[in-house]
Amino acid sequence: MALGLSELGHALVGLVLLMVVCSSVEAQTPAKPVAQQRPGAAPSTSAKPAAAPAPAMAQPAKPVVDYGQRYTQQCAACHGADGRGAPNLAPSLAGQHSFYAITQLFLFKNGRRDSDMMNALAKDFSNDDLRGFSEVIGKLPAQATQPIDPAPDQARLAMGKSLAGSHQCLSCHGRDLAGSQQVPRLAGQHEDYLKRVMSEFRSGKRLGYTTAMNEALTSLTPQDLEALAYYLARHPGTP
Amino acid sequence: MFVTKHLKKPAALVAFTLGMGCAGLGYAQDKPAEEPFWAVGRPKGDATATMAPVPSFPVATPADKLPISKMKLPPGFKVEVFASDILDARSMREGDNGTVFVSSLFVAGKLYAITNQGGKREVKTLAEKLFLPSGIEYHKGNLYLATPKDITVFENIEANLGNIGKGKVIYDKLPGEVPHGWKFIKVSPDNKLYVSIGANCNVCDVKPEFATINRMNLDGSGFEVVAKGVRNTVGFDFHPKTGELWYTNNARDWLSEDLPNDTLNRVAKNPKEIPDFGFPYCHQGDFVDPQFGWGKSCDKVAKPALKLGAHTAPLGMRFYNGKMFPAKYQGAIFIARHGPWNRTKKYAADIMVAWPDGKGGISKTETFLTGLVENNGYLGRPADVMVMKDGSMLISDDHNGAIYRVSYGKK
Repeated sequence: MALGLSELGHALVGLVLLMVVCSSVEAQTPAKPVAQQRPGAAPSTSAKPAAAPAPAMAQPAKPVVDYGQRYTQQCAACHGADGRGAPNLAPSLAGQHSFYAITQLFLFKNGRRDSDMMNALAKDFSNDDLRGFSEVIGKLPAQATQPIDPAPDQARLAMGKSLAGSHQCLSCHGRDLAGSQQVPRLAGQHEDYLKRVMSEFRSGKRLGYTTAMNEALTSLTPQDLEALAYYLARHPGTP
Repeated sequence: MFVTKHLKKPAALVAFTLGMGCAGLGYAQDKPAEEPFWAVGRPKGDATATMAPVPSFPVATPADKLPISKMKLPPGFKVEVFASDILDARSMREGDNGTVFVSSLFVAGKLYAITNQGGKREVKTLAEKLFLPSGIEYHKGNLYLATPKDITVFENIEANLGNIGKGKVIYDKLPGEVPHGWKFIKVSPDNKLYVSIGANCNVCDVKPEFATINRMNLDGSGFEVVAKGVRNTVGFDFHPKTGELWYTNNARDWLSEDLPNDTLNRVAKNPKEIPDFGFPYCHQGDFVDPQFGWGKSCDKVAKPALKLGAHTAPLGMRFYNGKMFPAKYQGAIFIARHGPWNRTKKYAADIMVAWPDGKGGISKTETFLTGLVENNGYLGRPADVMVMKDGSMLISDDHNGAIYRVSYGKK
């Protein structure tokens, strides 16, 4: 039965991914002329069809991009309008700091963090795009951690809590696990995402600027990571 | 030199742990992780809980948004943008043909060159995916690049800007650790390459190779220690007349908001024994460490020439020996203070000038470029200073990914 569920899960994810890819391609289309705008080029007339063609010698005005709208078009399908993401689909961005968001977008753009979808999306981001998206993300308010199960396993919670202490999670992510500046919020993050990211750090597949995360997780077993993810996903985000 | 190489050790560890996991050891191993090196010693409490080193912003600030109008300088000086869009700009050197070489750190991992193409400056990436490549030096046509683990020379570099090649590793026995492993390097007037090896911790009893300044011949031979007890220097220069080594030092963290001071120091020439500047047991020449100082004193420690303020993070420094600035600046030391990350009230983030008194000390100091602290945050963070051949001064700002040029008079 577990196998069946997981197969179904994969199929669903595949379907959703396909839909998202299609919808994000569509969503990108109207914004394309803006994204391709080069400094010094004449303003695109297709961005504002009603505008009169700019005189040849006029100083080009920098097009105003509404990144809230672009978030809705390009990010919300997976991460949600409120940024909460969804299990087996996309991590929660709600309550993440803009410095963290721009750092990750920068790493995705430059292929220093792997994700087919995010690498493809961020590849052509301009510096303005990196700033614009991260500022929108930084304003998505943190949400109360939703109960995942009516009676969480207290022994696993205790094991996760103990590991979070002994492996120094709180040193950087804060006593409330809410992160700060370039450090992500972990409290209430989706369990599957936490598990995947931690195992990527542990195996060395994923790197930050330094090997700090790799070193913090090196001595943990897969079972440890599961307990940690279990605990963090259920953490309320207060000390 | 490259990141992947650096990772070999952790990867091996990981493989080992994975193997154990598969063997059915499903329990947490009794091996807690260490605190990040910078957090060791941090007092508990809300005021310090979210203080952590902040990497430079991953997007360079556009030229028209740089804080030029906020900068304050003495009368007669002018500051302008020399180059923008140099992500994570750190150390600078000028080549014989006018190329300005720029290093970077965690965020960019690149070596840049700024070239002058018919009056138009261009920023070019010469190498990337480098392992914390902050240490650079230009000497007699060659560029030396130091990572935490090795030093590579790129010969005749200005003739090879299109493809600098892989260079030649001249020294590969640096420890290679990340904590305070990033380098500052410089060639002395007597043709020795000086390199720092910072303490691989915030404060701890270090092995003898750490917390040192060392020198070697330009081919990597003859490595020797010239100063010890130096927690972390990422800025030094040689006195234009005496040839003495002067350096900035970053003192330990978390003792308090206002102690100990970061310092400016002088290494006397031809000392009887290798001078000890006190780390980890004595800070700022007169302050015994509350943990590592028991049973020890500051009596025999080499004293700093100047205290530069707690947590001010003095990085690059240079003697002024150009011909553009007023005469009073001849032989003065310009210091780039990066500004604190672990102090509640932010300050510094400026360029300071200190005048040697000719007797090993400092007779006078002034701030030179200020205005970058606003609303308890930074508008910019100076990382290095460099005197150009025309006598103007370049200042790198890793926070904005930019380089500024300060000139005097009509030039």
